[in-house]
Amino acid sequence: MSLQDAAIAANRFGLGARPGELRTIAGDPRGWLRAQLTPEADLPAPLKTLPSTEDDIAAFPRWIASIGLNAGSVAKLYQKGGAASAGMTDTMMKGSAHDAAKGGAPGLPPGVSIEQSFVKTFGPRYVTALQARMQVATTTDRPYFERLVHFWSNHFTVSSAKPSSVAMPPSFERDVCRAHAVGKFRGMLRASCKHPAMLVYLDNYLSIGPNSYVAKHPEVLPAEARGYLNGLNENLAREILELHTLGVRSGYTQADVTSLARIITGWGVKRGKGGGQFDETGGADASPLFRFNNYLHEPGTQTLLGKTYNQLGQEQGDAALRDIAAHPATASHIATKLVRHFVADDPPPSALEAIARVFRDTDGDLHAVCLALIDLPEAWSPSAMKFKPPEDYLISAVRAMDGKPQLTGYQLTALLDRMGQKPWYAAGPNGWADVEGEWIGPDPIWKRIEWADAVAKGVANAKVDPAAIAYEALGPALTPASTDAIRRAESPAQGLAIFLVSPEFQRR
Amino acid sequence: MSILAPNRRNLLIGAAGMAGASALPRIAFAAGPTDKRLVIVLLRGAMDGLSAAPAFGDPDYERARGGLATPRPGSEGGALDLNGYFGLSPALAGMHARYGKGEVILFHAIASPYRDRSHFDGQNLIENGSDQPYGLADGWANRALLGLPERLKSGRGDLGVALAPSTPLMMRGPARVTSWSPSILPAPAPDLLTRLKGLYDESDPRLARALSAAVTANAAQVGGAGGGGAFTALMAAAARFMKAPDGPCLAMVESNGWDTHANQLGPFGVLPRNLAELDRGLGALGEGLGDVWPSTAVLVMTEFGRTVAMNGTRGTDHGTAGAAFLIGGAVKGGRVLADWPGLSSGALFAGRDLKPTADLRSVAKAALRDHMGIDPGHIDRAVFPGSAAAPAMEGLFRT
Repeated sequence: MSLQDAAIAANRFGLGARPGELRTIAGDPRGWLRAQLTPEADLPAPLKTLPSTEDDIAAFPRWIASIGLNAGSVAKLYQKGGAASAGMTDTMMKGSAHDAAKGGAPGLPPGVSIEQSFVKTFGPRYVTALQARMQVATTTDRPYFERLVHFWSNHFTVSSAKPSSVAMPPSFERDVCRAHAVGKFRGMLRASCKHPAMLVYLDNYLSIGPNSYVAKHPEVLPAEARGYLNGLNENLAREILELHTLGVRSGYTQADVTSLARIITGWGVKRGKGGGQFDETGGADASPLFRFNNYLHEPGTQTLLGKTYNQLGQEQGDAALRDIAAHPATASHIATKLVRHFVADDPPPSALEAIARVFRDTDGDLHAVCLALIDLPEAWSPSAMKFKPPEDYLISAVRAMDGKPQLTGYQLTALLDRMGQKPWYAAGPNGWADVEGEWIGPDPIWKRIEWADAVAKGVANAKVDPAAIAYEALGPALTPASTDAIRRAESPAQGLAIFLVSPEFQRR
Repeated sequence: MSILAPNRRNLLIGAAGMAGASALPRIAFAAGPTDKRLVIVLLRGAMDGLSAAPAFGDPDYERARGGLATPRPGSEGGALDLNGYFGLSPALAGMHARYGKGEVILFHAIASPYRDRSHFDGQNLIENGSDQPYGLADGWANRALLGLPERLKSGRGDLGVALAPSTPLMMRGPARVTSWSPSILPAPAPDLLTRLKGLYDESDPRLARALSAAVTANAAQVGGAGGGGAFTALMAAAARFMKAPDGPCLAMVESNGWDTHANQLGPFGVLPRNLAELDRGLGALGEGLGDVWPSTAVLVMTEFGRTVAMNGTRGTDHGTAGAAFLIGGAVKGGRVLADWPGLSSGALFAGRDLKPTADLRSVAKAALRDHMGIDPGHIDRAVFPGSAAAPAMEGLFRT
């Protein structure tokens, strides 16, 4: 029976303790964590009503068509197939699309700009998905599992900050990160590289082999696509090596990036009716919306990280990803990110080596890796080494206050935005940096204090005992200094606010 | 817009915060007129350069602009003359006066290397500093700060400040920058702040420092600009940050709403209001900086220009080249710098836009090199990689 370990399990590995929870898990805090590392039997209820992957992927092209931006050409491109897949719409966003004179676009009423229409279309969609994510996180009985889902969603970032992938992150998170959170890393990597969201976000659907059939016979392309599909795009290949697997400066070269880019040419997205009759589906772990088009694929043998790949078609990429996933640099990179996430900004070398070894020994079995994280002695040190990012901070506050306040709508998005972390809107494919320097600036801290002050006034009343709430959330981690400050507060509301922005509640 | 009402208790907390800060070891440094300040104003949405700075002397100007042509100087609502060929929108009276004092350079027919027409991509490019959208994951202004001379770095906590709710891409990166924005929530009760300060000082130096800086920043905002809109308030705030001798030497301020597809001029037009707000903001900055103004330069830029011709809704669509301004006491101004391509139909870019003949990076690079004293090698390598074709312009600053 250890309340101290219970508080570490609930806060450092989880999303914060709810009232009563610490006592429940104190009997076996490690067992409580281990039991969460099973695949989800069923999708959490709040996520069930969100749009399907197909709808998230179609939303942007549909909006482009709805406002009349070259709707004819979009439709034509979709039906003709060829290289012009969903992402053709990026061109529509640029090019002559904006020239439409009537209020920004032919399908829009006068005075409504394209940007206003964009915000009106995708804003509510985003808010609905974010509320669902919050609702799952604030109510789940499997907070360690949920942390892993968020972790992988950040590791394999797909950002709404890029217009053509604006609606895609929720589907990607569900299909890739949630589905594979305790599976094999190799499977998650394949699922990511064969998901339309990643293929669009990092432009791979636009990449064609310089010696592919289509490159040699541009006449098969619709005229609009010729100036646009002009060769290899290395974006996804580079980020696979730099961010998703081996890690930056791990020894691969520009030639390796180019090779991998050639290897995954032809990896794209299912097109609309009438097109793509020659396309292949992606096999195990792939999204049903993934398609491989051999006419865009660079033929021939490629060398990557010193190894030769002579497979035909998408098997070449499957083989390369298998090897990259099993590379020792990948084990080290993933171990570093996981230990940094759960233990300390500067990961202790002993912990890194322990986790990397399990990753290598189990061929990247994330279930085994996550069990090993629980067994790290460094993870149970009573001193909190990590500062909660804004989203986890709000989630833990809501959990501590037993579901209050309900954070919904634009209030929620504005709050997170001002605290510096609007989920699914990371500025680039590297996601949020997982170190306290990212979050602890004067303005974000000020915004936390403002929120704590305002929310405490709404939640507290004469019957609320803030010291009790604080102890229920933090257990022995609550310091005498904070307890004193809470008890000496001039009102329950002020006491609650002090708890919410106390150092130990902002750290874990 | 002040978020703390100026009362006695705020002042006490502000003082407490300052006392905490001064207890930290300091490296002595000489605050003096040699400490340069750079303010970057990013106008998001694409400012119509030909409305902000009409080229009334161009023989094709009136025909090409149609209903959007600004009347010639001297007529009612006419342009404010700069050099007999170019003028300023009548909404920019303050800037016009500064031009007369030799503090403004107008750059025209200028653009970033971006040649497509997406706001998102265009802004991403001019913020990341590479030659393509999403080409780099952090911002050029932040990377530039790493190359500041030691003289400017020493004794400063934060090298830069972003006047925005979350740090914009341009200011993101390894260099230490702070941020400030007005809030949607009421300021925390001063008594709560005092109690938190005690708690943090005792147990969490990092939080203590953040709170101290936040209290100082917010106390500095007390009694902010009267009149004017949100942008003016941000510019006044920028001045308060930068006026402190050890304050940040680079600030970025954003202004939104320049995407004028419809009814951009006229009594209810968005553009004159935006320009007037820009003018008021520049005034508030200059006033706030006071004796620091002579060592200040302000770079006003936007992601791209707008079409030369008026569209069907009395607005303009996304274009290519436009106008930019360099303003400040440190600027060798009173000049228009433009390799003017002309407005005849044959001279337009893609048959519709003002043709770019200068690169915005050439101005930014000059500001970093000649004004801030940043090493040119660092600028070419780390700040604007791939910009060899856009060398820094010479002679933009008083020395």
